[in-house]
Amino acid sequence: MDSSAWGLLAYGAWTTAWISGISIAIGVILGLFVALLRVARIPVVHQVLGTYISLARATPLVTLVLFIFLTAPTMGLDINRNVAGIIALTLNTTAFNAEIWRSAFNNFSNEQREAALAIGMTPWVYFRRIMLPQITITSLPGLVNEMSFLIKGSPAVAVIGVVDLARVTNRISAVTYEPLPPILAAAAMYMVLISLLVWLQRLAERKANRLAV
Amino acid sequence: MPETAAVSIRKLSKSFDGTEVLRDVSLEVKPGEVVSILGSSGSGKSTLLRCINWLEQPDRGDIHIDGDRIGVSDSGKAMSRRELASMRARLGMVFQGFNLWPHLSVVRNVTEAPIHVLGLSKAQAEERAMALLEKVGMVEKRDDYPYTLSGGQKQRVAIARALAMQPKVMLFDEPTSALDPELVGEVLGVIKDLSKEGYTMVLVTHEMEFARAVSDQVVFLDKGIIIEKSHPSEFFVNPKTDRVRRFLELEAPVV
Amino acid sequence: MSNWEILWSSRDVFLDGFYNTLQLFGISAVLAFLLGAALVFLLEGSRPRLRIPLRIFIDGMRMLPFLILAYLLYYGLPSAGIRMSAWYAGLTALVLYHGAYFAEILRGCRTTFAQGQVEAAIAQGFSLPGMFLRIILPQLILKTRGLMGNQLIILLKDTAFLVIITVRELTAAANSLSSTYFIPMEAFIVVIGFYWLISIGLEQFIKLIGRYGAKRGFENA
Repeated sequence: MDSSAWGLLAYGAWTTAWISGISIAIGVILGLFVALLRVARIPVVHQVLGTYISLARATPLVTLVLFIFLTAPTMGLDINRNVAGIIALTLNTTAFNAEIWRSAFNNFSNEQREAALAIGMTPWVYFRRIMLPQITITSLPGLVNEMSFLIKGSPAVAVIGVVDLARVTNRISAVTYEPLPPILAAAAMYMVLISLLVWLQRLAERKANRLAV
Repeated sequence: MPETAAVSIRKLSKSFDGTEVLRDVSLEVKPGEVVSILGSSGSGKSTLLRCINWLEQPDRGDIHIDGDRIGVSDSGKAMSRRELASMRARLGMVFQGFNLWPHLSVVRNVTEAPIHVLGLSKAQAEERAMALLEKVGMVEKRDDYPYTLSGGQKQRVAIARALAMQPKVMLFDEPTSALDPELVGEVLGVIKDLSKEGYTMVLVTHEMEFARAVSDQVVFLDKGIIIEKSHPSEFFVNPKTDRVRRFLELEAPVV
Repeated sequence: MSNWEILWSSRDVFLDGFYNTLQLFGISAVLAFLLGAALVFLLEGSRPRLRIPLRIFIDGMRMLPFLILAYLLYYGLPSAGIRMSAWYAGLTALVLYHGAYFAEILRGCRTTFAQGQVEAAIAQGFSLPGMFLRIILPQLILKTRGLMGNQLIILLKDTAFLVIITVRELTAAANSLSSTYFIPMEAFIVVIGFYWLISIGLEQFIKLIGRYGAKRGFENA
């Protein structure tokens, strides 16, 4: 592989990084809101969100990416490939994150709430100062794990022609007629990225275990 | 003019799923007084304590803290969350299970509510916290996290946390029941010091010797009813009912 | 003709895709499970020298996007002289990839076993493979059924990646119908419905195993 091939590879890696990064950032926050709405058990909203989560978990990312990219124009929405990819990844990861947040909420001890109320905190101060910080710490390992799943699923955006780290290997081999080196190089780059997340997940687990007293 | 009671409970009743756990309970706690609530498990004594700061809502009856009614506002409606929070801030509660907040260090457990409920500055809150940690003998652990502490240490921090709100009344819900026997003494020691300093306290406990030593008034609950209310010298030496006599024989064979 | 009528008239395309997806899913699920079980058996320790390469394989797969493995087998291997059709390349990728995940799930659970069970089996005269097959594996399956079920759903979803290497499965069917008749909404709703149905079916199946396991005191789902 020559330097232009490496340049393309770097470009693909950057595309994967920013598209995944944006989806992760939105997905973590949105997942928290979905979980809060689910925990509140508001009629209708609860069922609608439950259906969304069940559907999103069953739908392959590739199918979702195609669905969004192809149907948006029929509804008069003009979105480009990158945006379609981000919407699909976000819809997917939000559903998984919502379940991670929700299980943290459900497992949160009532005693902590009583201690906060007994000392005179309003429910809002309790949520912000006591519950949310702890929920965040206990959810983090699961959230980081879901991040690596998202990155492993992100090549789905290749199906609508986004040139990410996976698809860029086709571009390179179309010129060099040697598909193996770029694929192996891309594989190595993914591995570095994922192993970084695995390492972060271990750190997060160690921190979370300290709360389990 | 008569002195306003620190806690005044009138005709309190409470049921869980149709089972009556408190029935027409009335109790006055004067400022500076230490009241111990005794009774076997299931007698409703923890429920009574938890009603005082509205963690449980009674079905009937009312409770006044320092002359102000808790749970129900002047207009007769249920208190807003904010009103309730400010009432509760006047009561310090110590739980059986400590209930420290595990994501905060020892000192921040103590400063959290003064800063975010009372609106103290961080410096003021820390100054107050350090004085209290000194009092409970936990200054060296100020930057440690709860998971590193023993049960007795956790409970001492929990006491400091409650004191940091400068409450009118301290409520103790079986503060030593979850502790290993060798750690009970250090916690009781702290509570005893508080009683000498004139704190108003209501405590639910199984430690008979301790209740006898610190209390000004002992209340005995049986099946949700107060069947004895007397000074410890009377209660432990000359119980009026067979029920209490039997209880004391089982729980405190010393006397 | 309404859009739905168009779809109904081309139901063969869907059914072909559905059938292809089910076939890929079914075959690769069975083979991947066997591969996973075999990997765990080999990790049991009869051949210590195998352990390191096996661990590298398992961890390597778990750090790789599935599509990259499919690319490797379909586009990459021909230059090493190995040529497979898209379907076989896809199937092989599914088996290798999910075999590694199954192995990791089983291995994680295996480490929680008490040594006494193995000793009891050996004392009764079980051979090592016999012991693994009759004593260890059934317990592993009961205990890991929840994780295995999740993994099966991931496997099902990964079959959709194969549209990118030109396998004619369910998502490919929706894609081609939507571009032929310009009815993407309806075509994809049908296909997503199919995926949903299979997932729900899988979840029910796992619950069924759970009831079987609960009778024997395996409570951790």
